[in-house]
Amino acid sequence: MKGFLGVDVGSVSTNIVVVDADGKLLVDRYLRTSGRPIEVVQQGIYDIGKELAGDVEILAAGTTGSARFLTSMIVGADVVKNEITAHAVAASNIVPGVRTIIEIGGQDSKIIILRDGVVTDFAMNTVCAAGTGSFLDQQASRLLIPIEEFGNYALKAKNPVRIAGRCAVFAESDMVHKQQLGYNTEDIIAGLCEALVRNYMNNVGKGKEILDPIIFQGGVAANAGLVQAFNHYLNTEVTVPPYFGVMGAIGAALLAKDIYAKKGSTNFKGFNLRDIKYVTTSFECKGCSNACEVVQFYQNGELLARWGDRCGKWELQID
Amino acid sequence: MAKVGIPHALAYYLYYPFWKTFFEKLGHEVVVSTPTTRAILDRGVEETVNDACIPIKIYHGHVASLIDQVDYIFCPRLISVRRHGDFGTETFCPKFLGLPDLIRLTFTGAPPIIDTPIDINQLESKPKSKKDKKRKPAEIMEAACVETGDRLGNSITQSRAAYQKAAQVHQRFLTLLEQGKLPPEAIDILFPPENPISYELENPEFNLAVVGYPYAIYDHYINVGLLNILHKENIKVYTQDTLSDKILNQEASELPKSMFWYFSNRAVYGALYYMKKGYIDGIVHITAFACGPDSMVDRLLEIEARRRGKPYLPISIDEHTGESGVRTRVEAFVDMLRYRRDKK
Repeated sequence: MKGFLGVDVGSVSTNIVVVDADGKLLVDRYLRTSGRPIEVVQQGIYDIGKELAGDVEILAAGTTGSARFLTSMIVGADVVKNEITAHAVAASNIVPGVRTIIEIGGQDSKIIILRDGVVTDFAMNTVCAAGTGSFLDQQASRLLIPIEEFGNYALKAKNPVRIAGRCAVFAESDMVHKQQLGYNTEDIIAGLCEALVRNYMNNVGKGKEILDPIIFQGGVAANAGLVQAFNHYLNTEVTVPPYFGVMGAIGAALLAKDIYAKKGSTNFKGFNLRDIKYVTTSFECKGCSNACEVVQFYQNGELLARWGDRCGKWELQID
Repeated sequence: MAKVGIPHALAYYLYYPFWKTFFEKLGHEVVVSTPTTRAILDRGVEETVNDACIPIKIYHGHVASLIDQVDYIFCPRLISVRRHGDFGTETFCPKFLGLPDLIRLTFTGAPPIIDTPIDINQLESKPKSKKDKKRKPAEIMEAACVETGDRLGNSITQSRAAYQKAAQVHQRFLTLLEQGKLPPEAIDILFPPENPISYELENPEFNLAVVGYPYAIYDHYINVGLLNILHKENIKVYTQDTLSDKILNQEASELPKSMFWYFSNRAVYGALYYMKKGYIDGIVHITAFACGPDSMVDRLLEIEARRRGKPYLPISIDEHTGESGVRTRVEAFVDMLRYRRDKK
């Protein structure tokens, strides 16, 4: 069988998928990046190769996410795309006619507006990470609740408590305050979900024309409490697609499929990436007072790429 | 002869040719700080009051880098350069009005600061008649030159002659801008360095209007190389500064009310002008985090862009801005323009 590989390496999770020639998902992996993107990608791709057991030939590979350039060099990608385009491609493929995509990941959140299958508007959160997955993780561990259970607590709430969601720091202190006043955990968690939705709508969703069908994707869509809070706020039903956690990777795989149709060949290095030794080193350039930290990327001791400088003096990219 | 330091920030991008020419004509040496670097930004963040916006912090960093090299720091008090707005009361943003004081109080050991006020509503000392009570813009600039020259020991005659020359160079600068050169390109044409900046493109794929404050658009460090990213993507950039005052001011009638601030009005009028142009594929607004006026400007542009159906991308910058954030947004925006075009 023929397949296309998509890899999405974000700050929190690394997602790897293979789709077939019709764009149907064959296999997927949702892994924690844990600050070691290179090893996680190597191991993840090796495992996927093992699971497919030689049944699938990869015709092309695509990468996305904040580590998309690094990842493209590890796997030998044919296309490197930003997360917004990747998410939009995946969503409109899985839910044709989608007009709004709500995407909340580990450290960023975005909204994508589509009309007639074309992205017409989008927004991403700025420096503030309030309301993203990392914040939820942190609150769950503070309350000693496994993150997987977090959303279910919200569903049991009778009377959600009002929590200030404008800022993660204020939200946390407000939660502590409400706990000290004796409100129960379920109501506080439900209140937090509502606060996060308000924050999302006021920051990322501000001024956007949100029309049905609405898709909610990204790792945070696993949280049933947030789904309920979005339904409540928007007064409609948001759809959580079956592979909500790996939509970026699916988008990258679909884009790789498009590129293959044009290019007909691939740079993909194969599933046996574990045997390749990737090393990165960095140094501070002394050329000017910008003091850029330049990253050097080596494959089996050979320098493949350099990046991180602002002037382009060190920039080196080997296709 | 004195060494006069001009910080490479804020009003530099629109008035540098004028003041450089003026000081040099008087026989002084002009020392301009380097383009913003990490060291300048770090120093600025360290020195400046915490709640100032990033461009003001950067300005402090530039001043700090000049202190040991010059006899004077040139930091004019920019109040107003024209009678504009509903009551003719347009000014620069309040932080410009207080800038010389901020600098003086922050850098106590600094060389003397030349803080000549530029204020269109300044009354003439001896009005000839009631009608003449208020000066014309050119006269204000001439008077500012005379006052500045006086601080440096130059006579009125010398300063007036230098003003004439400076005004000519400024006019050439404006002509270059109207020909589509961006201020850094035009400055390099007037005073050619070793490697002049050029954003020429043979056959651009898209035309984008990038609007905002000159010190946010043309400062490569703070906007993490936005103009270079766009150039590499084969996109031609238009800004409000490549439009004449006449064209910009016609846009004032599009709104029920003008903004109170000079640079904000220019950004808004420029954006409104480009929103009507078929050859412009989208509008990018660069805004500094914590900028008071921009809280209104950005919202206004967002509403107008939607009403007129022009793709709109706001980019917010601050001292933590990473290149990847800007690059992701620009790439996604350009992808969106491509899909839109291919759909047609």
